[in-house]
Amino acid sequence: MTASSVSSRKVLSKIATNRLQKELTEWQINPPSGFTHKVTDNLQRWVIEVNGAQGTIYANEKYQLQVDFPENYPMEAPQVIFLPPAPLHPHIYSNGHICLDILYDSWSPAMTVGSICISILSMLSSSTVKERPEDNDRYVKNCRNGRSPKETRWWFHDDKV
Amino acid sequence: MMLLKLVQFTYPNSVYHFVSVDSLSLTNPKFNFNSIHFTFKVRARESSSPRDGGSNDAGDFECNICFELAEDPIVTLCGHLFCWPCLYKWLHIHSHSHECPVCKALIQEEKLIPLYGRGKTQTDPRSKPIPDLEIPHRPAGQRPATAPAPDTNNFLNFGFGGFAPMASARFGNFAVSSGIGGLFPSLLDMNVHGFHNPLYGPRHAYGPRFSSRFHGGHHGHEIFHSRRGHQENNLLKTFLLMFAIFLVLVMIL
Repeated sequence: MTASSVSSRKVLSKIATNRLQKELTEWQINPPSGFTHKVTDNLQRWVIEVNGAQGTIYANEKYQLQVDFPENYPMEAPQVIFLPPAPLHPHIYSNGHICLDILYDSWSPAMTVGSICISILSMLSSSTVKERPEDNDRYVKNCRNGRSPKETRWWFHDDKV
Repeated sequence: MMLLKLVQFTYPNSVYHFVSVDSLSLTNPKFNFNSIHFTFKVRARESSSPRDGGSNDAGDFECNICFELAEDPIVTLCGHLFCWPCLYKWLHIHSHSHECPVCKALIQEEKLIPLYGRGKTQTDPRSKPIPDLEIPHRPAGQRPATAPAPDTNNFLNFGFGGFAPMASARFGNFAVSSGIGGLFPSLLDMNVHGFHNPLYGPRHAYGPRFSSRFHGGHHGHEIFHSRRGHQENNLLKTFLLMFAIFLVLVMIL
């Protein structure tokens, strides 16, 4: 199992439920291009298919994002990881964890699942090499007990990719 | 006696129907209430229905955090709208910095602007308990000074220099004889402006304040009047009218 299984599974607050329902409705009317929401009846965990953008090194590849919402979303960021196999990317670890500031320190409650998806696609698209982060093995070993990426103290240093 | 009308009008991309009750039927509160209720329901449904192309009119007034119609709405200097409880919780409980969730502009709480619509003014907000414990009351609006009084009374300076502030203080100190000429234009002026705007009267929450500022300049027809200007004018004119009556009495006796 992935780290997500450990994320707090407390039921969503009323505010969180209302907001997620709104986001889902909006997504169904106007989904971000390149993404497909896999329909389930679980509002608290979304699985989203990502299509690599044309003209990038991920063109014609498909990946899956798993988004888990905390009880007091949107005050707290959702936990976003790639389900295996995670794309080869300098900021994506082999366990699916994504080093992207908006998912952690720079989260803002005005962001949405849609805006997160676009950021992730943009991060993928700007990569020129398919490789793992330098510290991949060490990090993944540390996370072995199913630790959530939200518990990691991330160090955001590369704003080019 | 009751008059009913079916009213239909279009709003950007939706049609509203509601029963309008003529003022005569206001004596029947029950019916009136039902009709208001009905109108409200139509509107509520309109605002929550899916919209074409994801754009909507109600969205302009949705909180940027909970995405609901903003409750205790408050707007930042950068122009972003929130519920006060949502913004407070974000700034004080969850966020590490005092930034606008939308644009990351720095937020100074004393510079937040509450939006006072017409909707909830009847209830005292302090009486409404906010479920999530210690959220303080929404910051109050900052009310700039009202517009300065218009210059309609400058003819007084014209005719007889030191007499101008008589409206506020020096009523008894009169240099009467030369005053009559100047008075009648002002009485005429009262007919033009004085009771021109009765609707604004009761709405004006702050009592008239009497400044004793009368600038030099020409007495001309003022196109723009502030509400306060009207009140001052009215008061001044009442004084002048009383003064004229007084003069006439003095002359007769």
